[in-house]
This record gives sequence, structure tokens and C-alpha cells, in this order.
Amino acid sequence: MERSSNPVPEGELPKSETTATTMTNGTSKPSAADGPAEEKKLSGAELKKQQKAEKAAKRAQKKSEGAPPQAPPPVASKPAKKAQQQPGAKGGPVKATAKEAPKGEGKEQSTIPVRTRRLSKEAPAVKPVKAPSNKQVSLFGHLYGQPRRYGIEGAMKEVHPAILALGLQMSNYEVCGSTARCVAMLLAFKSAIQSYHTPQGTALARHFIPHYLSPQIDYLKSCRPISITMGNAIRALKDAIANVDPSTPDDVAKRDLCTFIDIFLRERITAADELIAETASNKIEEDDVVVVYAKSSLVLKTLLLAKEQGKKFRVIVLDSKPLFEGKRMAMDLANADIPVQYSLIPAASHAVAEATKVFLGAHAMMANGSLYSRVGTAIVAMLARPRKIPVIVCAESLKFTDRVTLDSIVNNEVGPPDELLGGIVGAELKRWGDTPNLQVLNILYDNTPADMVNMVVTEFGSLPPSSVPAVLRILEDASSAGVGR
Amino acid sequence: MPSATVSLTPGLSTFQKSLKTREVESSIEQFISLLKRRQIRNSRPCALATAELLLKVVGEFPKRDAAKLFERIRSVGQRLIAAQPREMVVGNIVRRVLSLVRLIINDLEHEDDSLDASGANTPAQLHSPRPKLHSTFSMISPLKHGMQPLDSTALHDPSGLRDLPSRPPLLTSHTSYAPTGAPTVTSLFGLFSHPTASDSNTSTPPNYNSPSSSKPISFAEKIFKIEEHQQDIKTDVVDGIKEILEELEIVDEQIASNALDHIHSNEIILTHTSSLTVQKFLLTAARKRKFTVVHVEGYPNESDEVHDTLLNGARTGEPTTDERWKPLTAAGITVILIPDSAVFAIMSRVNKVILATHTVLANGGLVAACGAKVIAQAAKCHQTPVVVLSGVYKLSPVYPFDCEELIEFGDAGRVAGYEEGEFVERIAVENPLYDYVAPELVDLYISNLGGHAPSYLYHVVAEHYNVEDVNLGA
Repeated sequence: MERSSNPVPEGELPKSETTATTMTNGTSKPSAADGPAEEKKLSGAELKKQQKAEKAAKRAQKKSEGAPPQAPPPVASKPAKKAQQQPGAKGGPVKATAKEAPKGEGKEQSTIPVRTRRLSKEAPAVKPVKAPSNKQVSLFGHLYGQPRRYGIEGAMKEVHPAILALGLQMSNYEVCGSTARCVAMLLAFKSAIQSYHTPQGTALARHFIPHYLSPQIDYLKSCRPISITMGNAIRALKDAIANVDPSTPDDVAKRDLCTFIDIFLRERITAADELIAETASNKIEEDDVVVVYAKSSLVLKTLLLAKEQGKKFRVIVLDSKPLFEGKRMAMDLANADIPVQYSLIPAASHAVAEATKVFLGAHAMMANGSLYSRVGTAIVAMLARPRKIPVIVCAESLKFTDRVTLDSIVNNEVGPPDELLGGIVGAELKRWGDTPNLQVLNILYDNTPADMVNMVVTEFGSLPPSSVPAVLRILEDASSAGVGR
Repeated sequence: MPSATVSLTPGLSTFQKSLKTREVESSIEQFISLLKRRQIRNSRPCALATAELLLKVVGEFPKRDAAKLFERIRSVGQRLIAAQPREMVVGNIVRRVLSLVRLIINDLEHEDDSLDASGANTPAQLHSPRPKLHSTFSMISPLKHGMQPLDSTALHDPSGLRDLPSRPPLLTSHTSYAPTGAPTVTSLFGLFSHPTASDSNTSTPPNYNSPSSSKPISFAEKIFKIEEHQQDIKTDVVDGIKEILEELEIVDEQIASNALDHIHSNEIILTHTSSLTVQKFLLTAARKRKFTVVHVEGYPNESDEVHDTLLNGARTGEPTTDERWKPLTAAGITVILIPDSAVFAIMSRVNKVILATHTVLANGGLVAACGAKVIAQAAKCHQTPVVVLSGVYKLSPVYPFDCEELIEFGDAGRVAGYEEGEFVERIAVENPLYDYVAPELVDLYISNLGGHAPSYLYHVVAEHYNVEDVNLGA
């Protein structure tokens, strides 16, 4: 809990060295630290209540602190204390710049063209691909929809610059991974909320969602379909907005919303990650050979924590075209002096033959227990099952959804086919486009049936995949308790 | 068959060219070094090169001695296999030639015997001294594939030959073919596989021919007769090797002729690698039926060839480029390229999986390009039938007691390039080239002989190879 002050899982923002990313990070991260400072001054009764309820729920899970939930004073005072510590310990030096940044962005909103040029220059030269219908794989025809947006021309004027930048980062996979995308989106929403002004004659609760938030979300959707986590976060945010009293003054309401986002990030992601990593790292034993697939910040955290605990184990990172997310994962693990082996998914059977455990990250957990994750995850789980190797999934409860899936075709995301043909450019690529009947399929996710997963580690504990609906019920109870006050 | 394509790097075509001009011994050395340097690789080029080399070895064999010829092929084969044990096709071709030689000698000897039997107008009393012998043989003959009739060897070979492992089964199998009146008692087979014993063998016949009366066919006489036929043996062996070469040439067409029996309209077929066998199979079906092909890319080892195949119909530098095969797309077939990671995702809609193979093993398992195991396992998960296309020449009589040693590892630089210095330095990068797929994951084999269940392959092996040649390395 004490490490919860940093709401951004660092490893989750790939290629954050590029200037475009640092810019958003520079603006949005300090504003995250900014939130708690405001929270201290004005912790709205509603927010406190909700905080309390969720804290209580978490405490019940956390075995160590045996504080009974009916003792309100410590519960209420604790977050306040933490909020006090944070700006002093961490947010302090950043604050100065942070104060400026949101304002600067607000000004810049009127001078969008400047920003446009800068961004479009920095965005990698991936041209928007108009997929002609004969190049669409007919089985996946329902998934094609609008071609992905790679620029900001034509974006609605309400869209906040931070969101504009984030959208481009998402469509280029600079911000990739469901948790990272969700965190980045919420942070960008915070900047957007800062620069929002309720027009005369209407209330924030009524105007904000349809006229301000929706265009932002639509823009993000046009860059890349939003993840389950983003959907869950948006739903929570909309609930919070709808509950803002119409009589609340604008800046108070805005501050409340920012605080809500901060708490949401801390409780549902940062603190949850800590808990999951702790639980999951206990599953790693001495001399284990752990197979992981692609990149998951949560699995990475788990493995690093296990290493910190002094366990000796080996990791095999499996990876696949076209994103090669596992390379970063492997490098991060190697930097922590964990012996790492790296191979691609065709060699999965060789890797799994050596394994004693399989750790997988999730994009989402479906209500029927199936795991929806980066394409290729199902292969690893499938190979582990006949060898009786435990398959452990790490997922925050934020990733749980009441949707159900049976296959990887009805629900999926189709990426631009050119990504798969990575090294091929120019005339050769054109030949691919010109060859009739030749199609390239680049799906991003697949669906692992529940019977291939042995355990799901969440912040509520370790469960079999069949218990996903139970978690959903807990969440529902918690949120209705929070909203109902 | 030798292609007209000239490549600058040494490979199959340069080898085939130089084969015409070089000495035998230097050709062998050249092939060994090409194998070792992996400049001739994959089943088909290896099979072609081996067969052509053996053709030359036999053709230019100077002596007229069948045993020496057999031994010569054997020793050349051992050297080739030792050069690249994982190209099991080399061993397969050597073994096929060896069993061919055995068969020819056997037939020849057979012919002689019947010739003798009829030509000499054998009187009935000739056989009377040996009725007992016949009865024991006929008792043994049904077991010719099974146990070795040790007692009979002990009975008939008192001259110290009983320790030869090769003799007993040959003895029996020979008699099973022999006409009832054939006076033969000894097989020449053992003689040829153990030429050192041939001299002592001449002393054998009198030992149990002693009771025989007027006209005993002495062993010396028989050897002499075979000697007369030396030229025949050589030409027969040459013809046989040419037949193998011909088989290599038409094997794909033969396999493809089964295509319509296996592919129905509107089917979705998943395949991998750039195998010509598979491409021809699908193309043959495409002439009559419309279906969809899902092609797994096989990055990083196969992807370039797969791209070539999808665009041009064949990988470049393939020896059979003289007959240009159109790509499947030109035949109106929709081809979907997917990365290896999407195999499981799409398998639920696939009707049939067609795999190419590197080697098929006697237990029905196969060694195929990396990723085949993932495909086969995913197919098993979805109850999708897996069909393996393989010429008989890829069928190896070797049992995979240790699957790991069959797997070859390739250039790790293809997985993570050396330009990523730090990555390569700190992380162990692995790039296996092959997968072993267990027989229970395969539903059907289609070879040039037709379709077989994996469990039946042992019989195909028995038809094509001689049991004694299996362990050539020893």
C-alpha cells in the first residue's frame, strides 16, 4: 500500500523515451500527483465514503491488517494521512511544473494547429490503410469497421490535446497493454477535466458526458478499439459524473472528479497490482522454470518481486510477431539478473517442455471463465495442459467483464495487415496489395477456454476461472454500496 | 531432373553438375562437405543428391563382386549419414539402395536355382535325401518376419557361421520363395553382408550336402554362377536407383492425385511452410474445387519462403522451377496469411490441417518445421483432422527413442538480430528449426502409395527397407 503513490505502472508505457510520450507523461503524471494535494484540502463527503467502502473491502482481503471494518476512525484517517504524505514525499518538486502544465494545455487548446504539426511529424510513418473489402478476411468481416486513425485531422474540436496525443500513441502501440491504456486514458481525462468549463444555463452532470466526454471517447475509439479496462473505467467515471450535485460549483466538481480518478487508479490498479504480485510471487518456487508470453506488467511485477524475495528461478519469454512485446519483458527481467531465455511462439512446444509453471497476463477475463488476451496466449496454455503444468493468470478485477465468449472470432480486434509484413516495404508491399485473393490476417487477441487455465490471481485472492462471476458480483456490490452512499 | 538453374553458391545444382565430371571419391567428399555446411538441406535435395551420388558410385564400381559392391554402398552410406545424421532422408535412400541390392541378389540366386532345378532336369531321387530339411523349412517360413530359427542354423551351419545375425531370417525367407524342388540350402545373403565369411562359407555345403547324391550344387559353383551375372547385378542396381530417382521426380504428382479425395468444396484448410508437395496437392484440388487456404507464416525460419510461395508459387531456387507453378491465388483460391500466434484462434473454423514434413518416423510420428507441433496440438484441441503429406522417401525406418536429438537448432540471429547487442548478450535466444509431432496428433498420412493411418506406417517401412540395414551406423 505504501508504494501506491505512483499510479502509473512504469513498465507499461512502451517506448516512453520518444518525445511525444514524454510530453504527455510530463503533463499528466504530475497532475496525478496534483490530485491528492487537492484531495487533502477538500475531501468531499461522497468521495470519502466511497473510498472508505472500498478500503474496507480491500482490508477484509488483506490478511495482515486485521482492523475490523466497523472501526471508522482509522479507516477514514488513513487515506487522508497518505494524501498528506504524498505531495510532501513525491509530488513536491514536480508540483511546480504540474501547476503550469494543465494551464498551458488549456491555452494550447485554442492553438491546436501548432500541436498538430508537431504530432504528425513525430508519429511513425504508418499510412492509414484503406482495406478494400476483398482484402478483408471474410470470417472476420464484422470486425473491420472503420480503418484505424493515424492522424488528428477531422477530430472534433472538443477533443482535448492530451487525448489527441494519447490516441496517436495508442494507434501506434506506443501506449499498449490494457492496463497502460486505461491508466493513460484516465490521466488524460484528468487534464481534459481541468480545462472543462460548464456552459451557462446547464449543469456539469448533464452537460459533461454527452458534450465533452463522449467526443473524447469517440476519438480514442477511432484510434483503436477501447479495451475492457478502459470501458470499465469509463463506466465508473460516468457514474461519478452523474452523481455530481448540479449545485456544486464548477471547480469544486472538477476537483472532486480528479480525486475520484486518482482514487480509482490507486485502488483498482496500483494497489491491486501490489496485492496480486505478492500473491502470485508466492506461487513461484525455488528452481522453477516459468514460461511467460509477450508482455504483462503484472507478470513482470510478480517475477521481479519473487526475485527480490531471493528465489532462484528461470524465465522463458515467448514472443510473437508483429509487436514483439516480449523483448521488453525479457530485457526488464534480464536487468533484474533473472536468467532469461527468449524464443518465438513456433518454438512454444520446446519451451513448455522445460517449464514448471506458466504465468499469463490478461486483457480481460470473461464471465464464462475464458481468458481474452494477446493472440498466442491460448497456444501457451494449450501446450501446458497435457503436461499438467499449472497455468496461472494474473488479472486485476478491473479486467473482469460480464461478457462471455466462446471463440476468438466473434470478439476480437483486427489490426492493419501491413504490420504483419513488417520488413516488406515499397513495391514489394504493393505487390501484396495487388495480388488478388491474397489476404493477410492480423488479429490482436485470442480466447483461451476456461479449462486451460488453472488459477486466476486477483486482488480478491486466487480463484479458479469459474469464479469470475463471483468476482463480478463482489464488484457490483461494492460499486452499488459506493454509489448508494 | 537436374535443373537448368545455375546458382553461384554451392548447392544441389552445382553438385549435380560437378557429378558428371568429377571422380567418384571427390564427389563423395564434396557431398559430405555440402551436407556438413548445410548447403544442401531439406529432404528433397538431399534425397536427389544421395540417389545420384549412389548411382555414380555403383556405375563406376570397378570390380565384379556383388559382395564388394554391397559393402561399398554401405560404407559410402555410413559416411554420408555420419556427415549429417539429421537429414534422415540420406540414410533412407542409402537403405533403399541396399535393400534393392539384397533383393536383386536374392532374385538372381533364385533364378539360378530354378534354372538349375529345371535345366538339370533334376531327378526325383535328388531330393529324396532331404525331405526332412524341407519340412523344417516350411514349418519355419510363416515366421519369416518374426523370430530367427536358431535351431535350424545350428543344424545346418556347423562351420561357425551361426553367429552371423543376418543369415537365419534370410535362409527362411529364401526358402519360402523357393520352388519346392529347389535344392538350395544356403543363402548368399549372409555372404554379402559379411564378405569376410564368404571363404569359409564355401566349405559349408559339403557339410550337409554330404548325404545328397548325384548332383550337389556346391557353393563354389554357385558363387561362380553369380560371378557370371556380375554385370547383371550392376545394371540392375543402376536401374533400381534410376527408379528411385524417377520416384523422387513424380512423388508430388502421385500424392497430388489423391487431392480430390480429401478436399471438399468450401473447405477451410490450414497449412504451413513452403512445401512444394503441399502446394501441388492444393493446386490439383483447386482445379476442380473452391476452398480457402489459411497459410501459417512460420516466422522467422520459414516466412521468407512462405511469402515467395504465396506470391510466386514456389520458393526461389527450387530445383523444379522448370515447370512454373502458379501461386494458389492465381487458381482462384483465397489464401489467408496468418502469423503463428493466431493458429489457435482460427483453428475453430478450420476443417482440415495439411502438414508438410521433414521426416516421417517408423512409429507414425514426424519431424516437421518448427510450429508443426503447435498446429497439430491446436487441431487436436478442436478435433480438426490432421493430414500429413509425405513421399515414401521421407519415411525413415528409425524409431524416435529420443525425440530431442532429432531437433536441429538454427540461427538465433533470425529471432533477435545481432544489432540488438545488449539483448543478444544478456538473453539466451533459441531458434529450433524442427518439431517432433507425436503419432497420436496425426490422423492420416498421404504418400505416393496412398493414404495410411499412422499406425500402419511400420508396414510401409517393412516393405521398403530391410531390417538389417536399419542400424547402418553400427
